[in-house]
Amino acid sequence: MAEVILENICKTYGNNFRAIDQLNLSVKDGEFLILVGPSGCGKSTALRMIAGLEDITSGSLRIGGVDVVDMPPKDRDIAMVFQSYALYPHMTVSENIAFSMRLAGKPKAERKKRVDEIAKTLQLTSLLDSKPANLSGGQRQRVAMGRAMVREPAAFLMDEPLSNLDAKLRVQMRAEITSLQKQLGVTTIYVTHDQIEAMTMGDRVAVLKGGVLQQVDTPKRLYESPVNAFVAGFIGSPSMNLFEATLTGDELMSGTFAIRLQDAAFVRRPGLKSYAGRKVVFGIRPEDLYDSSLESGRKYQTIPAKVTSIEELGSEHIVHLNIDGVRVDSGDPDAVQDFGLTSNAVARFEPDSAVRSGSAIRLALDDTKLHFFDPETHLAI
Amino acid sequence: MRKRHTPKDRLITVALHVALAAGLFFAAFPIYWMLSSSFKSNTEIFALPPTVLPKAFTLEAYAAILGDPVKLRFFFNSYFVAGAVTVLTVLIALLAAYGFSRFNFRGKGSLNTLIISTQTIPPITLLIPFFGLVVSYGIFDTYVALILTYLVFTLPYAILLMTGYLNTLPRDLDEAVAVDGGTSWTALWRVIVPISLPGIVATSVYTFLLCWNEFLFALTLTKSTSMRTVPIGIQLLMGQHAFEWNQMMAMSVLGSLPLLVIYLVAQRFFLAGMTAGSVK
Repeated sequence: MAEVILENICKTYGNNFRAIDQLNLSVKDGEFLILVGPSGCGKSTALRMIAGLEDITSGSLRIGGVDVVDMPPKDRDIAMVFQSYALYPHMTVSENIAFSMRLAGKPKAERKKRVDEIAKTLQLTSLLDSKPANLSGGQRQRVAMGRAMVREPAAFLMDEPLSNLDAKLRVQMRAEITSLQKQLGVTTIYVTHDQIEAMTMGDRVAVLKGGVLQQVDTPKRLYESPVNAFVAGFIGSPSMNLFEATLTGDELMSGTFAIRLQDAAFVRRPGLKSYAGRKVVFGIRPEDLYDSSLESGRKYQTIPAKVTSIEELGSEHIVHLNIDGVRVDSGDPDAVQDFGLTSNAVARFEPDSAVRSGSAIRLALDDTKLHFFDPETHLAI
Repeated sequence: MRKRHTPKDRLITVALHVALAAGLFFAAFPIYWMLSSSFKSNTEIFALPPTVLPKAFTLEAYAAILGDPVKLRFFFNSYFVAGAVTVLTVLIALLAAYGFSRFNFRGKGSLNTLIISTQTIPPITLLIPFFGLVVSYGIFDTYVALILTYLVFTLPYAILLMTGYLNTLPRDLDEAVAVDGGTSWTALWRVIVPISLPGIVATSVYTFLLCWNEFLFALTLTKSTSMRTVPIGIQLLMGQHAFEWNQMMAMSVLGSLPLLVIYLVAQRFFLAGMTAGSVK
């Protein structure tokens, strides 16, 4: 078990493409840190650099206090779970798990004892003589975990280990990996593009975009206090609704509607006053928008909106809306999928909401939950 | 629902079957003729009209070949040369292919182009230069001459074939070995080679066949009867005054047998997906 410390880590490829730019990250001993970001943000590259599978162009990397920049993967005291699992297809489960011990020249009896212990923890005992081809996705995932655990490493590195599983199994494995990590207490760096995994599994979450670290914080603080519009848009599903508006007095003017701000909003964000008479980006999460015809929405002010489509999920309705305002792009390439051609906002309504697709409604919003960002820098105000 | 066949459909089917039967006859008849003639006496082979089935079934041709140490030596030579070239080709091609598939190095692209371009040169144009080279090296009429020459022809294709195969194997496997404490060498021998058997078998079969069937270079680069290979041995049975047709056919059958066995044994490797379960 060890601390993993990245200082000013950069990765530049031959074509001068900078995949990672000045990455500073300190992962505490025993911590479960999630690296998250949209595709191409450099999260896997960062993990592979920690593993030693990619060269570090500049910067320093210490694992357990040892500078490992020039060390090959095998000397870094890490274990990795690959997105594809990368199980050795010609070896049995037992041989797969014991492979690193065999390379290290450990005696057969010791190998068997350790493999048996791990198989018991991962419920693989009955499968030890099977080949990977005969295992289900979840079982293969466990073997990959076992192969990492057998090394008793200073740190686990996991590269989207659940992305190949079906949705149900993913939920189960999410819980299993989390509890296993707590039980083993090994420092873990886990890469994912799935922000539900990020929010539910990690002690802290590091959000990357374009190779630049945006924010590292607990899932709760990331959700409540994003440092910029990108983090605001990326964390949370569906994404936060971001619109441009003009701050006039205590009102946000956007298109044909106005949102009145309470004094508390200015007290919480003293910087907001300096935007008076100027453009500002405001954001509101889908869960802070309400159906004004229901009890839950009656106490809030309302704005006009048109319902374009509804996804009835049983426990809630995801309502796609069109609001007369200019939507702001958070910079998350995956966020575009949340919106169709006709909608520019999403709300989460209670299941007893009676709104219908195509109808014009009054949308209630909890103005105390508004987020504000600078329209130029997209930094939080 | 079953489609109803119109008379036109039936006519097309019949025509197709006739064409296929004609094709099959064209391909299979020489093999049948070889087999059938190998069981005839030399006199019956010259009979007019020719007999389709051996009238007097005899194994005399086989006995003449298998009982003659000189002829058996042809087989040994062919096995030895083809076997040695196959082992060396696979070994060298595997290492070269692993380099091409897994590492980036200066001149990789040019080297690849060079290897492909060697395939455009007709071997016969190299016969005289090779002859000169072999004589000046003092290896004329030796196994070494044949083995080295054949390697020149088998290696480029084998490297291309193996590189193509290794490129299909996930790189995650090499990286998993690196993380597990192994080197590239460990990855190659402990993981890549065992799962590359289909590629290795395909390369081996190709190489063995090429060497086994080769005639021109074997004829030019060897002189003594004890160094001759099976294709030359068959040709030697055509004397100035006598043609031992039945022995030629028997030798051809015996010469084809190893190829048939190799195909049957290797077949399962072509069919089985060796990397199943490795990733995803």
